Amino acid sequence: MNAASHGEFRIGSESDIVAARKVVRNAATALGFGITDVTRIVTAASELTRNIYHYARSGVMRWRAISRDARLGLELTFEDSGPGIPDVAKAMEAGFTTSKGLGLGLPGAKRLMDEMTVRSQVGKGTTVEVRKWLRK
Amino acid sequence: MATENISVIKLRNLLLVTVPPDPDDQTVSALQEQVLQAMAQHECRGLVLDISTVETLDSFFARTIAETVQMVGLMGGRTVLAGMRASVAVTATQLGLTMGKALTALDVDRALDLLDSAPSGDGV
Repeated sequence: MNAASHGEFRIGSESDIVAARKVVRNAATALGFGITDVTRIVTAASELTRNIYHYARSGVMRWRAISRDARLGLELTFEDSGPGIPDVAKAMEAGFTTSKGLGLGLPGAKRLMDEMTVRSQVGKGTTVEVRKWLRK
Repeated sequence: MATENISVIKLRNLLLVTVPPDPDDQTVSALQEQVLQAMAQHECRGLVLDISTVETLDSFFARTIAETVQMVGLMGGRTVLAGMRASVAVTATQLGLTMGKALTALDVDRALDLLDSAPSGDGV
């Protein structure tokens, strides 16, 4: 299990959004998530990868299998050195966007996942961490 | 980078478009362009978007579809989204996606029935 319990994927072009989805789909499926949860996780990853490509141009996605209280889960971390988010609370509001998007990326990803943490510093970059737990 | 193949078929006075399973942004944008061109060229009254193989419907994809529905509407046509998977429907709803004025159907067969009975155009 160790060989496939974590991984890293660099994001640097638009086609990496689809490629990142494949990486996440494989990881989530291998962990035993059902089709609906796999779709939720992959869609959240698609939004967060697009955010990196759109706002920071490049970054990295890391995934790893996690466990807590005998529950298994998947953790995805999206890290970039882009412009950062001046007001994270505002960015979490549905419909708020500084680009031409729908403003669903961050709040949508949060609804699709079980846990989400956003750390951002203007001028330094943004790290978004999301987790989904396997239902027992 | 090559975009994935998009199949646009004219069927009587309708367009049947099969969306590839995992399209990138470029393919999604190309799809919109091809659809609008074909609508104009063939003077179609309706569009069926077969999304039965689509596994991931994210906000960019949804926005482009909603836009396309609106554009096709302005051109006098109706759009039916056919065959959305259950897992995709659950995810799209939680994500907060809306598909504009698109009609929906369980599969392509029912989509064709729906367009046969729907009044043409958007009243524009």
